[in-house]
Amino acid sequence: MLRFVLRRCALVLPSLLGLLVVTFLLIHAVPSDPAVAMAGDAATPEQIAQLRLQYGLDRPIWEQFAVYVGKVARFDFGESAFSHRPVALDIVQRLPATLELTFASLLLSVLIGVPLGVAAGLKHNTWPDHLLRIFSVLGVAIAAFWFAIMLQLLFAMNLGWLPLRGELSATLSKPPVVTGFLLLDSIVTGRWDAFADGLRHLLLPAVTLALGGLATIVRFTRSGVLDTLQNDFVFYERAVGYRWPRLVWIYVLRNSLTATVTQIGLLFGGLIAGGVVVEAIFDWPGIGSYTVQAILTGDRQVMLAVTLLVGAVYAAVNILVDVAHGLLDPRLMERA
Amino acid sequence: MTGTKENRGPVLGRRRMGNLASGALLAGALPAVSFRSVQAADSSTFVSGFALPMNLDPHQVYDVPMQSMMLNAYDNLYRYEGDPPKIVPWLAESHTVSDDGLQWEFKLRPNLKFHDGSPLTADDVVYSFRRVLALKLAPAGAFLRILKPENVTAPDPLLVRFKLETSYAPFFAAIPSICIVNPRVIKPNEKDGDWGKAWLASNGAGSGAYRIDPKGYRPLEYLDMEINEGHFKGWADNPKPVKKIAYRPTKETSTRVLALLNGTLDCTDPNLPADQVEQINASKIAYVQKDVVMRTFVIRMNNTKPPFDNLNARLCFAHAFNYMGFINDILGGYATRDPYPMPENLWGIPKDAKGYDYDLKKAKEYMAKATAEGAPMKRPLEIHVQSENEQSVQGAQLFQSDLAQIGINLKVVGNIWSNLTTAAAKPETTPDMWVHWVSTYFVDPENWVGQMYDSQFHGTWKASSYYKNADVDALLRKARATVKQEVRAPLYEEAIRKIMADSPDIWIYNSMQLQGFNKRVKGRRFCTVGQGAELRWITLAG
Repeated sequence: MLRFVLRRCALVLPSLLGLLVVTFLLIHAVPSDPAVAMAGDAATPEQIAQLRLQYGLDRPIWEQFAVYVGKVARFDFGESAFSHRPVALDIVQRLPATLELTFASLLLSVLIGVPLGVAAGLKHNTWPDHLLRIFSVLGVAIAAFWFAIMLQLLFAMNLGWLPLRGELSATLSKPPVVTGFLLLDSIVTGRWDAFADGLRHLLLPAVTLALGGLATIVRFTRSGVLDTLQNDFVFYERAVGYRWPRLVWIYVLRNSLTATVTQIGLLFGGLIAGGVVVEAIFDWPGIGSYTVQAILTGDRQVMLAVTLLVGAVYAAVNILVDVAHGLLDPRLMERA
Repeated sequence: MTGTKENRGPVLGRRRMGNLASGALLAGALPAVSFRSVQAADSSTFVSGFALPMNLDPHQVYDVPMQSMMLNAYDNLYRYEGDPPKIVPWLAESHTVSDDGLQWEFKLRPNLKFHDGSPLTADDVVYSFRRVLALKLAPAGAFLRILKPENVTAPDPLLVRFKLETSYAPFFAAIPSICIVNPRVIKPNEKDGDWGKAWLASNGAGSGAYRIDPKGYRPLEYLDMEINEGHFKGWADNPKPVKKIAYRPTKETSTRVLALLNGTLDCTDPNLPADQVEQINASKIAYVQKDVVMRTFVIRMNNTKPPFDNLNARLCFAHAFNYMGFINDILGGYATRDPYPMPENLWGIPKDAKGYDYDLKKAKEYMAKATAEGAPMKRPLEIHVQSENEQSVQGAQLFQSDLAQIGINLKVVGNIWSNLTTAAAKPETTPDMWVHWVSTYFVDPENWVGQMYDSQFHGTWKASSYYKNADVDALLRKARATVKQEVRAPLYEEAIRKIMADSPDIWIYNSMQLQGFNKRVKGRRFCTVGQGAELRWITLAG
């Protein structure tokens, strides 16, 4: 197992370097001068030229790339042109909010999607299955921004049950930073008021983000269950008298989840990307809005760092998915 | 936020849900229903929807969001107050200027204090100006050419002296753009001679009416400030000020409006789309405040590229834009037609000068003349817009449609601000045409005509029409070297007459700012500089 994980990790490094090369070239192909963004609206050409010199933007692109890779190797991602703060610091402050939202969405998708998928598989071609199929199609088809506004109108504006936006109420102070994750920090520091308030703020964005993934998980689980139910071992175990719930929720489900687990891995990347829209609508202080701002202001250091980070997170999740596959079906690990 | 059954809003019926859905789908055309007010904040906390600056250092960033923050957290020697804006003594109680306009002296009030309780003296003012000049970032723009760091001195603890390299009248108008910072908290946080740049980007070092809470700050997301009870102005003019300002900027229009309507936001940012006004004014909890500001909307023409190097061609374009159609139909009438190259409510405007009207017949005549003079009027042209800004796109599309009627092929190209300002650095990369606003960085004609049409500013985005007229250059330079406004005004009037005759750009409107407020907000005072963001006058009812 350890060798398997190490081999996967070793493969990640060249992938990330490739990602860095492609992103670096693409960003430099855009005719935008970061010195202009850094200098601000009222800057003179002399001020802009000075910044270009100061940040090495006048050097050849290969030289800029070599300097950048050297810095990244030391975990120095440079300075944001618009916040004038170290990019690493900005990301460290924002990433936990994005991860909290992503994990919450994933958790909702899995906890609701898998049982619904199993139910659809067991009741295939009956009305619950038809209903769930409609739901799956709608879940994938509905635009996140529309769904988000509908949830806001219903739960925040009309019923007044949940907050409209943000991560925490304006009147509450944030708990002291321990991990950077608001909910975890609230628990660790005993700030139960912040925990309850944070959880309520998390619900609407998490449900919005979960919808697409939930629909996908329902479809893949249903299909996996249907396939597994055709296997001889199911007939055998039924014949020897296994109790049906035990047979379904342990043996059938375990053999049905391979494709679902792959999808969960893919979904994770999709959720981080999809989070950009959801974060904007709910004013969620994650990396989504930070990235959009960086794109609009031509902030290269941020764009590079965020791309690399998302690539690294995606790679890590894929390794976890591979490990999960191995645990579900040890034959896969042996083959790998 | 949960409530009893009685104070909940009405239950959603099928028809009402349909209304809500269609409203939301129309992005902003939200239905006129009364939502449940949740009033998230108590009467001591003002929840502001103003956008936050890129960081908190007022010497690194100078734009409208920064003004909204710095007017509350920092003080300046002089400050703009009121509507129309007047420059009034603030930390300084008076100033003098030598006859040649080269030496300026500012006398400070006694017993001024920073937030940490340390005294604010002339040495701190000297440090602040030297820091601005050393960092060479946005707010330095008005001073770099005329002020050397060693020429800012403190002859005594209450006197600051500036010796300028050349006489520069807008110097005084730009004084409010510089915040006085506390070197005693910055210096210990300096790294590698950075003047504490990294530290002050996330912290406060001011003396203003409100104190920044660094723990309550995440760039562009949120910022908390606490009242400074010991502010030098005292609080006698506002016995019930808000104790805490919570900046909670919203990114999406729909969320912004909903937050105002359910009471979780006390004010929106000052750039509400016109189509939201009716919806907000119909509510019981909020209203839209309309204020004429000094922010002009202009279509730039690259005067170095044919056909824009031809006067008749430029006149053709000036007559082909449907000014009133744009203002009335697209902006809902929330703007004032401004045919001048600067706000029509600023001094220095030649009121006798006539602007250009929408007249396709005249446009055709000028087009024929330009074509006869060899201008390539049939060349496919491009107008670049800021894609994220709907209004700039709509303006360009309207123009495209009118130009098509007279046989001119205009392509609308989406772009972003940083790309456009980069492109504007050279005439060959500057687009044929592009659309932008010019905000009030300081209240002086120099902020508009001075920097837009004096050829010494070529290479900056403000001068991106690359207009060159020796007479105009001479007039503008004479005006900025003269101290007295009564002498400068006729010079600007003459320069503007000449600029308008040359029609280098298409000047469209002066903005009316639309800002949503909760009805509990009382005592607001408006000034175009900072767009009414100074909050020391505010009280919250209830």
